[in-house]
Amino acid sequence: MYEHLETAQNPANLKRVVVDPVSRVEGHGKVTLLLDENNKVQQARLHIVEFRGFEKFIQGRPYWELPVLVQRLCGICPVSHHLAAAKAIDQLVGVDPDKLPPAADKLRRLLHFGQVLQSHALHFFHLSSPDLLFGFESDISKRNIIAVLADYPDIGLQGVKLRKYGQEVIRMVSGKRVHGTGAIAGGMNKALSKEERDYLLRDVDQIIAWADASVALIKKVHTANLPYYDDFATIRSNYLGLIKPSGALEFYHGGIRAKNDAGETLVDHFDYCNYTDLIHEEVRSWSYMKFPYLTSIGKEDGWYRVGPLARVNNCDFIDTPLAEAARADFKQHSPEAMVHSTLAFHWARLIELLHCAESIKTLLHDPDIMSSELVAKGEKRYEGIGVIEAPRGTLFHHYQVDENDIVTKANLIVSTTSNNMGMNESVRQVAAEYLSGQELTEPLLNNLEVAIRAYDPCLSCATHAVGKMPLQLELVDAQGDTIDRLVRHSDGSFEH
Amino acid sequence: MMAKIKVATTSLAGCFGCHMSFLDLDERLVALAEVAEFDRSPITDIEHCGPCDIGLIEGGVCNSENVHVLREFRKNCKILVAVGACAINGGLPAMRNHISLEDCLLEAYRDGIGVENAQIPSDPELPLLLDKVHPIHEIVKIDYFLPGCPPSADVFWTFLTALLEGREPSFPYELVHYD
Amino acid sequence: MTGTINIDGQNIPFEEGQTIIEAATAAGVYIPHLCHQPGYTPHGSCKLCTVKVNGRNCSACTFPAADGQTVINNSAEQELDRRRITQMLFVEGNHFCPSCEKSGNCQLQGVAYHLNMLDNHYPHFFENREMDASHPDILIDHNRCIFCNLCVRASQQKDGKNVFGIAGRGINKRLIVNSPSGQLKDSDIDINDSAVHICPTGALLIKRTGYQVPIGQRIYDHKHISEVALAQENDNGQD
Repeated sequence: MYEHLETAQNPANLKRVVVDPVSRVEGHGKVTLLLDENNKVQQARLHIVEFRGFEKFIQGRPYWELPVLVQRLCGICPVSHHLAAAKAIDQLVGVDPDKLPPAADKLRRLLHFGQVLQSHALHFFHLSSPDLLFGFESDISKRNIIAVLADYPDIGLQGVKLRKYGQEVIRMVSGKRVHGTGAIAGGMNKALSKEERDYLLRDVDQIIAWADASVALIKKVHTANLPYYDDFATIRSNYLGLIKPSGALEFYHGGIRAKNDAGETLVDHFDYCNYTDLIHEEVRSWSYMKFPYLTSIGKEDGWYRVGPLARVNNCDFIDTPLAEAARADFKQHSPEAMVHSTLAFHWARLIELLHCAESIKTLLHDPDIMSSELVAKGEKRYEGIGVIEAPRGTLFHHYQVDENDIVTKANLIVSTTSNNMGMNESVRQVAAEYLSGQELTEPLLNNLEVAIRAYDPCLSCATHAVGKMPLQLELVDAQGDTIDRLVRHSDGSFEH
Repeated sequence: MMAKIKVATTSLAGCFGCHMSFLDLDERLVALAEVAEFDRSPITDIEHCGPCDIGLIEGGVCNSENVHVLREFRKNCKILVAVGACAINGGLPAMRNHISLEDCLLEAYRDGIGVENAQIPSDPELPLLLDKVHPIHEIVKIDYFLPGCPPSADVFWTFLTALLEGREPSFPYELVHYD
Repeated sequence: MTGTINIDGQNIPFEEGQTIIEAATAAGVYIPHLCHQPGYTPHGSCKLCTVKVNGRNCSACTFPAADGQTVINNSAEQELDRRRITQMLFVEGNHFCPSCEKSGNCQLQGVAYHLNMLDNHYPHFFENREMDASHPDILIDHNRCIFCNLCVRASQQKDGKNVFGIAGRGINKRLIVNSPSGQLKDSDIDINDSAVHICPTGALLIKRTGYQVPIGQRIYDHKHISEVALAQENDNGQD
């Protein structure tokens, strides 16, 4: 669709515009545009600019450290990394998902619903709502949560409290709001006490009501601005994610389902332990984030999107009543089998947030979460693969260990990596359809970030890299100042 | 009305967990907004750090751009604060420090499972990686340290309220932890 | 012979042969320490227990109590010295507390909390140190070894073995294993040995047991090491 804008033919003659760093997302990214003399966009790229090397330095560590170590990839969705690693090390101690004690399985699910709830609330209210409430090109002083709290105190405060509730679920299960412990190989290290359970039950109905209201809010915002919201940053793609055996929406465990842009099923209930047959990752010179694709389709057209839009698109239904009603309503708004609108990520995200709130209530009423049977044991294995639906999409953790319990190989495909091509295509769509040929101003450039923010990118995870934020705008001649350079030789070695 | 204090924040080689913990102030954010305003921060769209009273830095220094941003903060912030394990001692990203950078890159972009078009990303748009991850006090002078991975919201609250009231911050036992 | 020493203005009785730290512990006065454990030959290597005795710096774990001594244990100067010593221990090894399974139960961390250590002050060494995971049940992570010598002494004095030793000097100092290959799997260590359980940091660990104690229930989550150490060491003294 917009691939022709990935690489310009004659970059040396173009002027460069950079949005650096992309703000109100997690992690370090920047967007560069190359423009010709008429300000026509000739090239647009989202670069992920940091690298941390987790896959390398966790080699040599004992496997039981993994859930606690790798969650430091990301401060927003640490629980997802914690649990994906835990599912992988379950296998190392010979415990398959169906052999996990019910208490451990349910506590992990509770923990993860708390994670998805707080992350979705953070993403929508703290990071994206300023764009949606004040307008994409609103004054810079308005584009932050503090301004939302000042001008829309009810909405802002509900967002803050929704996130707080998710964080409190996490704290009760894992001991800390950010980077707790909890999951260990084959189970969990603690059950919920009655006091902890009652504490969480106290507010859960209010949380469900607020979550329901937030779905109504995004629906109002989205439908009030049709067809703009359906066109902005929108691209057609394949979609991938985990699914329950019943076809219901699933976050913690299931098989992989992928559908194409027409809604035809590409794979279904695929065992994620064979993910290397399904997905490969392409490296491009201009980003530390790789580009995954479905091998059966190939590099050109095999890229796919993950996350709330993919999950809500892919599932047959949601197994909680309010969220299912919201899903049916959501699907009705699209004439097609699949919703491709990139801004509909927000709508799908809030439907999921509602599902989390409802599911938390169900789990809190389940006596198993207070059971003391927390850990299962089995025969040692040498390879473990854990896959989970993180807030931003499918997250793969794959480890190999030696006879001494030491990690010898690690492969991580984090959610945002799977959306790399999607984000780039959305950036190009906005650049081509909304910016090209215009005098570029700071508010106008915010449109690029609005497109990226819809994906809720976790750029920090994505390169096993790190983050920073704000916004800097500069215009330089592409022939001028090259910043820092890393030279790679043909044999793969490199120098500064 | 008294002028609001200006606070800028940034994440260098961190995971944003410290920023999440800051947002864990929850409803106290509203109270904070009464007395403080945010300059450059991941939660605003302000591009460069202007003159500020307090700069909060999450993360260590892993590339040339981190050095640049850190120096910009030092230049503009009266009080510069190292927030969290990574800023204070490099944190877990510093676990790569005894491995050569080349090996780290090759693992990710050449030797990884299912990697196609193997190459080390080399575009001039990508900032130069440093061979080691450094604690920020090795680059600029730091005025205060808030340990933890991350420091809890109560640490931020205790620290900021003390500064606002003109007291020297001090932390009860339960607020000092390294994990 | 018995007598009295004075620590920070408090008169404390002692018995013949007691060191200053032993007398202090018995009287409920905490002197920070890492390499000292009741029941083991004093080693005097970590220097955290440095006190001023009649105006001179001495290690309380090796210095005999003598009648009429004036001991300064808690002063701003002493606290700063101890914090600096602890900071040196942190930068010399690779102590990544956030992911360490000993976190919350670690004496090095506990002492640092007690000393209100908020930063590491010195530049980090980031030394490349190895791990010995060869034994089926026991792990040595040299990254976290502070050369306190307790495992060496425990193996000799309690277990009647000689599994560990400290070799080298200065920055080349390292914990070594007495076995033909130098690996733990070829030594005669046993999972029930005192040496395996005495490490104050996360250098010597039982495999596959990490993170089983939830956050909030770990030793130093709520209790100062001063309180924990006095209770434990006085208990040990009684049996």
